[in-house]
Amino acid sequence: MLLQQLVNGLTIGGIYAMIAVGYTMIYGVIQLINFAHGEIYMLGAFFAITFISFLGLPFYIAFIIAMACCSVCGVLLDIVAYRPLRQSPRLAALITAIGMSIFLQNLAMIIWGSRPKPFPHGALPAYFEKTAVTFGGVNLSWFHLFIFTITIVMMTGLNLIIKKTRWGKAMRAVAQNKTMAALTGINVNRVISYTFALAGALGGAAGIMVGAFYNSIYPTMGYVAGVKAFAAAVLGGIGSVPGAMLGGVVLGVAEALGAGYLSSLYRDGISYAVMIIVIILIPAGLFGKVLKETKKSM
Amino acid sequence: MGKLGLKARPRGDKIRIGLLALALILPFLPFITDYVLHIAILVLLYMILALGLNIVPGFNGLLDLGYVGFYGIGAYTSGLLTYHFGLSFWVIIPLAFINGAIWGILLGAPTLRLTGDYFAIVTFGFSELVVLFLTNEIWLTRGPLGLPGIDVVSIDLTLFGGPKWEFIGELPYYYLAIVMVLVTVFVMHRIQDSRLGRAWFAIRDDEVAAVSCGINLLAYKVIAFAISAAFGAVGGSFFARWVTFLSPDMFKFWESFLILCMIVLGGMGNIWGVMIGALVLVSLSEVLREILPLLGLPVEVRFLAFGLIMVLMMRYRPAGMMPIAAVAAQMRAGRVKRKKVKATVGIKK
Amino acid sequence: MRNKRTFLFVGLVLGLALIFGMTTGAMAANIRIGVAAPFTGNLAAYGDNIKAGTSLKLKEINDAGGINGQKVELVWGDDLCQPKDAGTVGSKFAADKSIVAVIGHLCSSATLAAMPIYVRAGLPAISPTSTNPTIGDVGKGWFFRNCYTDDFQGKYLASYVVPKLLGKNKVAIFYENNDYAIGLKDSFMAGARSAGVNVTGAEAYMTGTTDFTPQLTKLLRDKPEAIFLCGYHPEGALIAGQGRKLGFTGPLFGADGIDNEDYIKIGGKAAENTYCTVPFLAASASPAGKAFAKQYKKAYGRDVDWMSANAYDCLGILAQVIGKVGADRKKIRDGLAAINSEATGYKGVTGLTFFDKKGDCSKPAFVKMVKDGKFVAAK
Repeated sequence: MLLQQLVNGLTIGGIYAMIAVGYTMIYGVIQLINFAHGEIYMLGAFFAITFISFLGLPFYIAFIIAMACCSVCGVLLDIVAYRPLRQSPRLAALITAIGMSIFLQNLAMIIWGSRPKPFPHGALPAYFEKTAVTFGGVNLSWFHLFIFTITIVMMTGLNLIIKKTRWGKAMRAVAQNKTMAALTGINVNRVISYTFALAGALGGAAGIMVGAFYNSIYPTMGYVAGVKAFAAAVLGGIGSVPGAMLGGVVLGVAEALGAGYLSSLYRDGISYAVMIIVIILIPAGLFGKVLKETKKSM
Repeated sequence: MGKLGLKARPRGDKIRIGLLALALILPFLPFITDYVLHIAILVLLYMILALGLNIVPGFNGLLDLGYVGFYGIGAYTSGLLTYHFGLSFWVIIPLAFINGAIWGILLGAPTLRLTGDYFAIVTFGFSELVVLFLTNEIWLTRGPLGLPGIDVVSIDLTLFGGPKWEFIGELPYYYLAIVMVLVTVFVMHRIQDSRLGRAWFAIRDDEVAAVSCGINLLAYKVIAFAISAAFGAVGGSFFARWVTFLSPDMFKFWESFLILCMIVLGGMGNIWGVMIGALVLVSLSEVLREILPLLGLPVEVRFLAFGLIMVLMMRYRPAGMMPIAAVAAQMRAGRVKRKKVKATVGIKK
Repeated sequence: MRNKRTFLFVGLVLGLALIFGMTTGAMAANIRIGVAAPFTGNLAAYGDNIKAGTSLKLKEINDAGGINGQKVELVWGDDLCQPKDAGTVGSKFAADKSIVAVIGHLCSSATLAAMPIYVRAGLPAISPTSTNPTIGDVGKGWFFRNCYTDDFQGKYLASYVVPKLLGKNKVAIFYENNDYAIGLKDSFMAGARSAGVNVTGAEAYMTGTTDFTPQLTKLLRDKPEAIFLCGYHPEGALIAGQGRKLGFTGPLFGADGIDNEDYIKIGGKAAENTYCTVPFLAASASPAGKAFAKQYKKAYGRDVDWMSANAYDCLGILAQVIGKVGADRKKIRDGLAAINSEATGYKGVTGLTFFDKKGDCSKPAFVKMVKDGKFVAAK
């Protein structure tokens, strides 16, 4: 049973990691908790099933296009809601983020209805259901492997982008100090948009995979997943991408073990409790640096 | 009417007294049904809650996303004490106040030294944990089965050989709510003009300067949070004895957001602004509930509208519809000054 | 001045609110009956069923000339299945003197919240779907229902469905943490003890959970022969899917919460071999029931479900009573209370309905199963 719970935990953990990375990147560059990030995750799933059902696109193509749409949504979110408040006190930006989150949730309810929708039958490749590997009494289907692979590939890809490319360097510069970055000729607004695009793509991919794997897509799915992923980001140290990845996995495993061995009712509570304890006791998380209290923080 | 000195009062006050008079005679006007009174009581309840929440973002500039946690704690404390021990409402109010304050201190002490964003998230996590606790600890709260059959409020003079008068229907609750709102407003005003209030505004304006004036940041913030929580609990106690039925899903995050909307819309830090914000949003909510089906729109439009209102308010009028000077200045101060500064020499208008 | 603008706005909103408050006392030429259910939100599907059932009966009544010459009008109250909104809807119905009875509410928690208001106002309510056993006590004689209670369903599942129909003995329970499921689970476990059915484990979950693999792994360790899906269909379908993926091949069973087309849609292949108890089953119904099912299918294009059938009968019962005693709240309540034995019972599409002192009624349960992607009667 332990092994099975670990597999369960790693599967959810990978998803949390992908969403958490989005939170942490955005926080890194604009010091804002993007409450609406969970909604981008949700939109990814909805876009995917819309493309498959109405345009008849095959799974992989729909996956990629939905991810691209989520990137666009992320950028739009920034331009429309957050950029005008770039210089405003944090209270205003936080409230805007919550407002956008509620707006998007209800917009999705109006467009797609609030009943959970299944992933379209037959859209997934047939072999996804079949078992690929068995060990220690645990079955891993091809779908499990698909999720693990995508998660690892995207995380590695993100790391490469941040460490090796110019855009990555620009992102790190903006995260460190916006004014100085601007002085060195970096177009800060564009870098921020780029960050939102990346975060959106990852979040969307997570949403599609969750929607397909659990076969249930509904407008409020971003709410709880978003909070848990944020807890993961905090655990790993907000602002640190490897921290968010680790935090996601740890939280996923903790949740699976907790639900399996302790109490399944407080399953969501585990994330909240972790979040509160980490923030109070080790605000820097596992990898992050303690935020300096800037004048702007109200 | 010379005793009230009506002529001498500033214009704003005259309007307020007029509104109060209107509120007092409202139930006796024609066409006012129990339904309208029900909505009016809801408005008054949310006024109390909004005034309580107003302390934290309004006076102190911190975002409390977990306010509904205190509301729920107050409601369940009141409900359980009544259900099991039959305590009188008038005893429960001070108990709820103290209980709320205790929880405010418990939550605030470790968290109020955090930066604004972290504080917001921690309070959010707290309120979610409260809901989970209320739902799962069935032995204590009956969880999702709910707590039905809570006694109504009553004025019991039997100890003094007098009658026992129970609150039947909406009318007595309406006047009770008005009294509670008046008391809350009075308390808020006194605090605002006291040393406590001034310390809070000092902290909000500039923490470093405040500290150098000898203000103990943490202590004042915790007091603010505790008072805010206490009023939330009092509102919850009233709620429990009014609807006589409690269930954990009445205390979701959405309530916190709604109350936040009220103070954002009305004007953070402004006592009257907050009350008007409560009035507008609750009325709007009910009006939309009626109109939307007639227009063929789904009910989600109501929630969507609230989200949109928040975003637009933050963009164009972040200090609210009736802002107070301190908050307005602060919200403006950070904005990029796009206008070129005119070179004026000397003459001020 | 900014204040002026605010006051104008406030005045406008207040004025509108007052107007809406006033106009709820509209024309009393028709007989007005309130119908309370979630018509929007994530349980809107259930509300649709209530609407469909009552509307069908309404058309029937009005086409026949109404009740004693007066037409009937239904007033919809959307309670979102939330106690707070149920209170608002309830107080609206209670305050509107032209509404003489209420069909509702759908969710037990909503009914529990609204009943005190109806009791105070003296407004009788008959619910087609609230199954929580405690409502009868809160209702103080003003509450009636024509569905069975969770007590009954749970015992029926434990004493008949599991040992006799399925022939299984070891059961694992997966219950939702809400008033409906907890009551159901408790009565099931009580019935299981006396029927000799062994409950190997019980796990709870919160509404809205999508990942059940940790809990399923834990439950499956004890190798149960059947799993009790004690909750509503959205989560039930997911549990079915994930349970099958983890290798569970036995039958699944549940109660009326599972009875919904979406269960099959979301569960897919995993939904096969699922049984559920329902208050109404077209295939096993009387000739009147079968005719109703056909009529329903013609009108709405989908198979009839038990909620629509019960709602249809609710309106029928009210119509019969109003026809006898007139459109008066107290008289209607007394008329409903008079339906208290087999002789005085109402013969509707769901069978014979009569109420006991608490307003509860005893109705038989039927069993459905999912076979080849559809719901069929279980044998």
